[in-house]
Amino acid sequence: MTGIEAVGSRSRINATAAVRAYLATCGIVLLLMMLLGLTMRLAQAQWIDVEPNLFYVVMTMHGAGMVGIAGLGGAAVMWHFVRRYVPVSTAIFVANLVFFLIGAALILGAGFIGGFAGAWTFLYPLPGHSGGLWSANGAAAYMAGLLVIGVGFLLLHLDIARGIISIYGGLGAGLGVKQAFGFAPEKDGPPPAVAAATMAAISNVIGIVVGAVVLILSLVNLYAPSFTFNTLAAKNLIYYFGHTFINVTIYMAVIAVYEILPVYTHRAWKTNRVFYLAWVLSTLMVLTVYPHHLLMDFAMPTSILVAGQIISWLSGLPVLLVTAFGALTNVYRSGLKWDAAAGLVFMGVAGWAIGIIPAVADGTIPVNSVMHNTQWVPGHFHTYLLLGMMAMMLGFMTYLAGPKSPSHLAPAGVWLYLIGGTTFVLAFLAAGSASVPRRYAVHLPAWLAYDRAGSIGASLAVAGALILIVRFLVSLRSPIDATP
Amino acid sequence: MNTTRALVPVAWGMLWIARAPLEHEMALHMAVQLPLLIGVGYMLATFLRPYEPRWFAESDWLGIPGLLLVVFATSFWMLPRMLDLALSEPWIDSAKFASLPLLAGLPLGSSWPRMPGLGRAFLWANFIPKLGAIGGLYLAAPTRLCAYYRLDQQAAAGIALIAVAIVLGTCWSVIVFVGSPPFWSRAGIRRQRARHEILEAGE
Repeated sequence: MTGIEAVGSRSRINATAAVRAYLATCGIVLLLMMLLGLTMRLAQAQWIDVEPNLFYVVMTMHGAGMVGIAGLGGAAVMWHFVRRYVPVSTAIFVANLVFFLIGAALILGAGFIGGFAGAWTFLYPLPGHSGGLWSANGAAAYMAGLLVIGVGFLLLHLDIARGIISIYGGLGAGLGVKQAFGFAPEKDGPPPAVAAATMAAISNVIGIVVGAVVLILSLVNLYAPSFTFNTLAAKNLIYYFGHTFINVTIYMAVIAVYEILPVYTHRAWKTNRVFYLAWVLSTLMVLTVYPHHLLMDFAMPTSILVAGQIISWLSGLPVLLVTAFGALTNVYRSGLKWDAAAGLVFMGVAGWAIGIIPAVADGTIPVNSVMHNTQWVPGHFHTYLLLGMMAMMLGFMTYLAGPKSPSHLAPAGVWLYLIGGTTFVLAFLAAGSASVPRRYAVHLPAWLAYDRAGSIGASLAVAGALILIVRFLVSLRSPIDATP
Repeated sequence: MNTTRALVPVAWGMLWIARAPLEHEMALHMAVQLPLLIGVGYMLATFLRPYEPRWFAESDWLGIPGLLLVVFATSFWMLPRMLDLALSEPWIDSAKFASLPLLAGLPLGSSWPRMPGLGRAFLWANFIPKLGAIGGLYLAAPTRLCAYYRLDQQAAAGIALIAVAIVLGTCWSVIVFVGSPPFWSRAGIRRQRARHEILEAGE
């Protein structure tokens, strides 16, 4: 037992069991959400018939569910590894899962019972103007669900921040600011998992409280329509919360790369001044990059839009570069014996890196004004979420399942996921470059080829994920002590 | 100590005497008088804590009941209608002078130390942005929320609340980022090394 575990083991809940519960939830919900996504692509391809009203409900549930499950999966990766270095509360970690499940039930009820179809971004004043498609109660259940989930994540990040402060004295030290600016030797810097968890805590605490403010204002508006507030301010607040939350899922999941690859290569992940500087810069930029979601809003001050464009070009690069370079140097001539877990984690870095390229293109104002409402956008975010973040989470899941679980199927799962996922995102990107609009339930005949290619890719990706997730669920029969 | 104790009734009394000028402006009423009344109760709690019965301390589990009372009491006096009534009805104003120190400040002072650090952080993280949001609403509201205050006084109150939120948010961020002692100071580095040594010894 390490000193940290001695400090943090007051809870009677087994930490590994809690991580397993997270991953089981993530796996099951991920599959359901992938099936909702496949349903939309099949409907656009005109291979199945889905009523447009239902399509938008499915789109809303798919968006909210995927963002939530990315957050939950990232949190599982982060918490599992960061507790090796700082004392954290297992009870709070489990409380977050409970809050998530309550919130998810509210959101699913809002969609499939209440008919809420205002997209996961719940842009004010749309929730209160349903045109008769959903009731105020349906929209309120959706927003209450987001609030409940936010409470859980807020507690989790605050608890991790508390643990980091108790060991390092402050979040600045946890991020490696001293090392980044040469105030302290590099060797005394925090481990990569701590730097990443600090960044996630800083960004998400701010993002979540901003989200809570706009959610409460929107809830008041639902039941008292005479109470109104500035729509552009609301959009700014929503994207501040939404962008930060989804972006941070990647920064939490990347801890899997820092911790799992070295196990395979038998080489420690080297940190240096550039590494810490990258994390400091990325923290600042994640907190200021959101205006790139508002490049089409003519009423936004031009200076903020220009800043949003420049920061969106730079935002992901520092950490991505040090992570991609670090992963390559860690793996190069290490004699690494590839398996599904190592492959998925490595794939995650590649998916993240490749996904940045179409994102940077869309973050450029002249391109954005043409491309933002096309399928280019789902193309770019699916690239770094499906092939990046989710690949890292599935890699972590496969790593935890260990070799005792049926391993001969795992490589097939990885290849299906990779080939299917790549086909799926390329179909989106190609459709976007041909100006096929996004968020349309019904497509023109000229667009069907893209939709059908995307549907085939999505089917393969679902099959791959199914193999990997079932393999993990089977591994839950093994005793907890066998978990790495 | 006795001099410090005497501060409580003196401060209470001075606030009562100064109520007319403080209630004349909405910003002063909300951002100065109400917090100072809570502060009087908080000071009172520091003197009463040694005499606190054991059963009382044990029943205030993690400080949650006490802080819930604080939330309800402060929310009640944030209602524009209650501000109006405090101006028009002297007995309501008296109730405010009694209830804010006794039902908000006193439980805040006694329950806050019992609340774990995580709970305190959660309350700060919720309180600061909500304060800013309320300020924003006062600033943006096209109609008067209180019958006794003009629209420009309401806007000034909004600016004051936003300013308080910014100051609190900045202070809180700096404290958690820099730490105590600051991470760049020799004491901060010594503390970090000491913790590392404890952890390594435990492995």
